[in-house]
Amino acid sequence: MKNERKRTYLMISLPILALFICFNTIPLIRGVYYSFTNFKGFGSYDWVGFRNYADLFTDTRVLKSYLFTFKLAVFTTIIVNVISLILAMALNSSIRFKSFFRGAYFLPNVLGALVVGYIFNYFFTYILPAFAQMVGIEALSGSILSKEGLAWIGIMIVCAWQAIAMNTIIYISGLQTVPEDVYEAGGLDGATGWNQFRHLTLPLIMPFVTINLVLCGKNFLMVFDQIMALTKGGPAQSTESISYLIYNNGMSGGQFGFQSANAVVFFIVIVAISVAQMKFSSKKEEQL
Amino acid sequence: MKGKILKCLFLSAACVFAGISLQSCGSKDTSVTEIEIVQYKPEAASYFKQVEEEFNATHNNIHLTIQSPNDASTILRTRFIREDYPDIIGIGGDINYSYYMDAGILADISDYQGLQYINQAYLDIDEGLKIIPTEGVFAVPYVANAAGILYNREIFEEYNWQVPETWDELIGLCETMKAEGVLPFEFGFKDTWTCLAPWNSLAVGLAPADTAKQVNAGSTTFSVEYRETAEKYMQLMKYGPTDPCAFNYNDACTAFARGESAMYTIGSYAVPQILSINPDMKIGSFTMPANNVKEENPLNSGIDLQFCVMADCKNKEAAYEVLDFLLADENIQKYIDAQTAIPCKVGEFQLAEVLDGMEEDIVNGNMKDYQDHYYPSEMAVDAQLQTFVIRQDVGAFLEKFDKDWLRYNRDIIYKVQKYEEGLK
Repeated sequence: MKNERKRTYLMISLPILALFICFNTIPLIRGVYYSFTNFKGFGSYDWVGFRNYADLFTDTRVLKSYLFTFKLAVFTTIIVNVISLILAMALNSSIRFKSFFRGAYFLPNVLGALVVGYIFNYFFTYILPAFAQMVGIEALSGSILSKEGLAWIGIMIVCAWQAIAMNTIIYISGLQTVPEDVYEAGGLDGATGWNQFRHLTLPLIMPFVTINLVLCGKNFLMVFDQIMALTKGGPAQSTESISYLIYNNGMSGGQFGFQSANAVVFFIVIVAISVAQMKFSSKKEEQL
Repeated sequence: MKGKILKCLFLSAACVFAGISLQSCGSKDTSVTEIEIVQYKPEAASYFKQVEEEFNATHNNIHLTIQSPNDASTILRTRFIREDYPDIIGIGGDINYSYYMDAGILADISDYQGLQYINQAYLDIDEGLKIIPTEGVFAVPYVANAAGILYNREIFEEYNWQVPETWDELIGLCETMKAEGVLPFEFGFKDTWTCLAPWNSLAVGLAPADTAKQVNAGSTTFSVEYRETAEKYMQLMKYGPTDPCAFNYNDACTAFARGESAMYTIGSYAVPQILSINPDMKIGSFTMPANNVKEENPLNSGIDLQFCVMADCKNKEAAYEVLDFLLADENIQKYIDAQTAIPCKVGEFQLAEVLDGMEEDIVNGNMKDYQDHYYPSEMAVDAQLQTFVIRQDVGAFLEKFDKDWLRYNRDIIYKVQKYEEGLK
């Protein structure tokens, strides 16, 4: 019977594995293959060895896109996690209309990123400057999306606004796993307020913090829709994320080979970061 | 239990195969030739829908499908990667055309009879787009567009302003407008491609038509040829909105249509969009006066839409029949009416009223192709111009232009130089 069951599990996973190889692994290998050519996306191509990889590290546009993406990912991840943890604690306490608030705060996650992007686009271009002029804030009287130094903040706001919803839900479920008697016992030892959070809550929900940090970091490193809807990489190429650059220059520009190399490097970077992040956070996890 | 598992496995496998085989064996009637066109102008989708219906109603042996997707060049490229070629593609006369031609995926159509009715000027423009001289004709130019300055006739009449014919007159007029409290220009530089419109119309008058080719051959640099263009470009910026990069193309068209500015440096292709916002607007146009001698200001005109038969096309005769239908005088007239375009075919066509300021140059053939038709799209000259508008540094802009050019055109330059060595 035991062997029979094992075989069932195997039978279930085999078709999935086949599909995964077909639609994930094979394209990945093809991408690696193209990264060693000067393929434009059509027609004939030549083998160029490691030229694409050598170019990657000297191309200022690519380097700039890495800097921008990491800056955005780091800041947005921090902001999203701080705000959603605070929100989760508020929504986990016994307040009135708790389920209504939980639903309301989850709404942004239901909307498509492009739709949200276009709405915020309008907001940043027309409504915010008009409001700033009315109140008399000189710095915000123009669209922040047209300022080289500020456009990334606009993107960060949109990314955070949407991502907070999901993270809050994960944190709420995390907070519910902490049993009440831990707090009672801690209270007897004088752990209240900040101390309670620092020494009891945080270590106990650490697995959830790990998940949120990894998911957030990965999502924001691959930011694409928001850029597409808000700035299309502008102004002055200051908001070109790596994914955007790969898509834009690989598909509509004739750099399929070169951007394949970029994608391969990016893939390695993301895997490395995710592994490092999990290793780091799991050290801090506590078991009850 | 075992039987069940096998059944499940069989079912799931069957599902996958059914999906694959359904795709491959769609029912096909062998007596009817399928011709598929993918064309890159979504704004003309309704025109092409109509052509498709009329064609299919009158032809029994050929079934025509025309697709007009958004962002067709990306769609085409993803299809090319899969080696899934349409029969005919409708694209612009730009660097993509050069690339496709160079990649050998376009068919030589020099035996197509319809070519003799095409204006020689446009065939020459296509000839110029070949990276290295190659035998053959690879596209039928369909319609062209022209870029220069559009103006609001009502505002011009109200203040009794004249259309400027030289650079000094243009700047003088802009100063007058500013003094009257009228915004001279509208710009929509948040959409980076619109940065190229004033750039191109200035460059045709100030730089040699084959600048890019000369640079590829190593005989000059952009820093030399484009300096005046860059300086005059910067001068125009003074007469636009204070934050030109805050608004996109739609915003700029809307603002111009509402009379918020007197002029707009854009191509004839923007007219349908502007009229859709304000149908009663009286728009005029004139050639960008980049020089102080009127005769030295050519009109910036290039091929907006042309049809290429793919090398992969099974039935060239059928494709030619479709091209004949598209090139029929009444169909071209319908297209140019709807899109304010300029026909590439020789004949008695009624041009849109908007174009009357440019008509003289069109009739005299005083036209030069867009310089950006030679720029590789991955170099993103449009974004570099946007950077230039923001940082306003002529030297840095030109230096980067030269440096990036060598980097992005490495393969082309190598090819050109090898070709020229072969000639010696």
